[in-house]
Amino acid sequence: MNNTVKKYLPLFPVLAGYFLLFLVGKNMEGKWQLIAMLAFYCAVGQAFNLFMGMTGYVDFGYVAFLGVGTYGMAIAISRWSDQGLGLGLLVIGLLMAIGMATLLSLAVGAVALRLRGAYFAIATIGVNEGFRYLIEGARLWNGSEGIIFTAQLNTAFGRDFANVLSTYWADVALFFIAPFAAFLTLCFLRSRIGYALTAIRTDEDAAKVMGINVTRYKIIAFIVSASLAGMIGAVSWALKLTYVFPPDVFAISYTIEAIIIVLLGGAGTLLGPIVGGLIYGLSKYYLAVILPGFQLLIFAPIIIVIIVLFPEGTVGVLKKRVQGTAWEKIIV
Amino acid sequence: MVYEQLMGNLIQGLILGGIYGMATMGLSLIFGTLKVVNVGHGQFIMVGAFITLWMFNALGIDPVVAIPVAFLVGILLGFICYYTFVRRLRKGPAFASLLATFSVGIILEETVRLIFGSEFRGYNWTLGKVRIPFTVIPYTKLIAFSGSILIAVLLYLWFKKSRAGTALRSVVEDSLGAQVCGVNVDWQYALSFSLGIGLTVASGALLTMFIPVGINPNMGGQYTLKAFVIAVLGGLASPYGAFFGGLVFGLIENGSYTLLALLPDVEPFALTRFLSFVILLAILLIRPTGLIRTK
Amino acid sequence: MSERMPLLKLENVTKRFGGLVAVDGVSLEVRHGEVIAIVGPNGAGKTTLFNVINGVVFPDGGKIYFEGKDITTLPVYKRAPLGIGRTFQIPRPFGSASVRENIAIGGMFGTQGHMMSVDQSMEMADRYIGLIGLKGHSDKPAGSLTPTEKKLVEIARALAMKPKLLLMDEAMAGMNPKDIDRMVQLIKEIRDTEKLAIVAMVEHIMRAVAGLAERVMVMHQGAKLVDEPTMEALSDPRVIEVYLGHPPEGHLADR
Repeated sequence: MNNTVKKYLPLFPVLAGYFLLFLVGKNMEGKWQLIAMLAFYCAVGQAFNLFMGMTGYVDFGYVAFLGVGTYGMAIAISRWSDQGLGLGLLVIGLLMAIGMATLLSLAVGAVALRLRGAYFAIATIGVNEGFRYLIEGARLWNGSEGIIFTAQLNTAFGRDFANVLSTYWADVALFFIAPFAAFLTLCFLRSRIGYALTAIRTDEDAAKVMGINVTRYKIIAFIVSASLAGMIGAVSWALKLTYVFPPDVFAISYTIEAIIIVLLGGAGTLLGPIVGGLIYGLSKYYLAVILPGFQLLIFAPIIIVIIVLFPEGTVGVLKKRVQGTAWEKIIV
Repeated sequence: MVYEQLMGNLIQGLILGGIYGMATMGLSLIFGTLKVVNVGHGQFIMVGAFITLWMFNALGIDPVVAIPVAFLVGILLGFICYYTFVRRLRKGPAFASLLATFSVGIILEETVRLIFGSEFRGYNWTLGKVRIPFTVIPYTKLIAFSGSILIAVLLYLWFKKSRAGTALRSVVEDSLGAQVCGVNVDWQYALSFSLGIGLTVASGALLTMFIPVGINPNMGGQYTLKAFVIAVLGGLASPYGAFFGGLVFGLIENGSYTLLALLPDVEPFALTRFLSFVILLAILLIRPTGLIRTK
Repeated sequence: MSERMPLLKLENVTKRFGGLVAVDGVSLEVRHGEVIAIVGPNGAGKTTLFNVINGVVFPDGGKIYFEGKDITTLPVYKRAPLGIGRTFQIPRPFGSASVRENIAIGGMFGTQGHMMSVDQSMEMADRYIGLIGLKGHSDKPAGSLTPTEKKLVEIARALAMKPKLLLMDEAMAGMNPKDIDRMVQLIKEIRDTEKLAIVAMVEHIMRAVAGLAERVMVMHQGAKLVDEPTMEALSDPRVIEVYLGHPPEGHLADR
């Protein structure tokens, strides 16, 4: 049992958990949609946590990266479905999604990441709306009509396989992305990057005095977080729905949900966003039955309560409890 | 022809800008005194809009009366928010107050949606129009504009002349010194926060006098972004800068709309919204403390 | 003494804030391994001087050289890897991180950071925890320590950066005499084992100055008043005036 295994030990229960979740979804009758939604929230939560959780900066325009990723896949499929690329088409779509999300994050980051706390929030609050209105205003990629590419997907893969892709593989992809995000999170936490980000989150000025190039580390976190979002958008929205429509993919509600998930679970931790994603996803699902349309109204005050009373979130509180015990190696 | 249309739109933009400016004063006031950015700003405006809507449609009361009512509701909401959480989060890390005010915005939006539904509503209050060079302005809009200016002036006088206003200014300048002089700093913070919210909700009433249609629970978000652009234009901490920033923004918004409409193959409304975001980023990049200097 | 280039050299450094001149044409040289005390009343400009050396603010006039290199406008975060470390008067450890993590962070981004892995930084941190006598507190969150303990962590963290110059900002303010002696002892140990120069800001703690510093620099209203070896400084009437707030006894015939 060497050092590397010890370092990455917390990852094993996480991977096991995702695998278990997948099995439950596959084998329990009618639960696949719920499980897929949980996987989505866990993935988004983890991706968002890499930036907001670890730096303490709130990117209110985060959904823009999901949206741009969706467009990446949509554009690839709608344009090159007739090139006979087979699964390569999806790879291209994914790469485009990641590429576009990265570019957008560089563009936004170049301005926003020079700014501190409140100014950063102000700069980002318009990003999703701004980009949406750019697409609609300049009539990019069909403007406000969006792109429907169901037919093209059928052309590329044949109707049957295309159907399987949208209804099954699009969701399964999440079960790869989410653990990948967890892996990245742990990499961050165990490396200089993680410590630099902790320093930045706690006291940015002291961090600079300690020799930390705060801008560089913020950018790294920002881009990684954005690219993951791009990936999620590409599979969970584009591939699954086979259309992209600007008001849908740039809706601020997804940023709100991401914030809830990260805060609820525990910002800056490995397990936090997963716990948060599960709690939020399950609550939303079952609330939709009892009190449809109420979930934001219920969770918004919860955010305030968490911020005031438990800013470290569920896992954060748990971490404090298990300090000094064996559990501390896994609850990270 | 284009020239006339442009001038007409610019005048309309100036008037609307006055209302935008007044709507932003609350945001700047709160940031200037408490260093808290009210991310739920637009939703408070929306509340004011709904108060006006309801008072007119359900009770038949003129929107002008709605202004002080909205103001008082805002003050009440402000005190509630301050004593529940703003007071504790003021001194903490930025993200805490950002997320908390954001959440309040969500609560307001969802509550209004559940009470009134998501449809777009409006009301019909016409008093006739007046002809001026280049354009025609309804009296209702003029009343809204004068109301905005009046409130801005009243605020200025209150700050300069009244005891309470001076106490508040002292807290902004030097809170420790103010405490030594016997100023109850906590109360001043509560007061300025509530005043800021009161102004914001009242501005919702004025806004509907200018745009009495399209009132719906989700309308707040766009005004939050506009307010940020204006506040940053005018210097985030200065309420007077906000007012002038509003005028400038109104001009830019309408001006660009008119000019963009001339271009083929674009949707001017959407592109103008994109433009305001670009302006925001540009100012933050060049001079985050604001382009308009006021003290 | 050989003609070695000074470690730190300030040439006529001036810093203004609006109309106030906080640092007024200060020139200063610090050699490798020297320990200097900067004294002066509140508002004399000591903290601003530190901020200028550290890079937190840039001077309006004058130049700063570190090992011959012009660092006048070098960004803050680049100064640590060069070898400038600093502690703050009110300690600012990273509260939610453990004591060990705090000190390790110092190591990771300091002069030798690029040569060390995260694990090696943690080992180094453990050594410093021993030096400051806080073994047993290694895993505690830094925010839960007493003010004196926090100061020690702050110092250890700065040391872990392996600086060549350590700026200690009022390290002993608010301590009782026993702790002050302990601190003086610690700093002496540091000076001997770490081979670095220390510029310490001490206000009214004579025992610290006498025990530690080879040279004393007195600041008054932003300018350098006196800069001489400790022995001379202790009997210099100007230094005494700064400490007592009035000229020494002999001049008070009219009292």
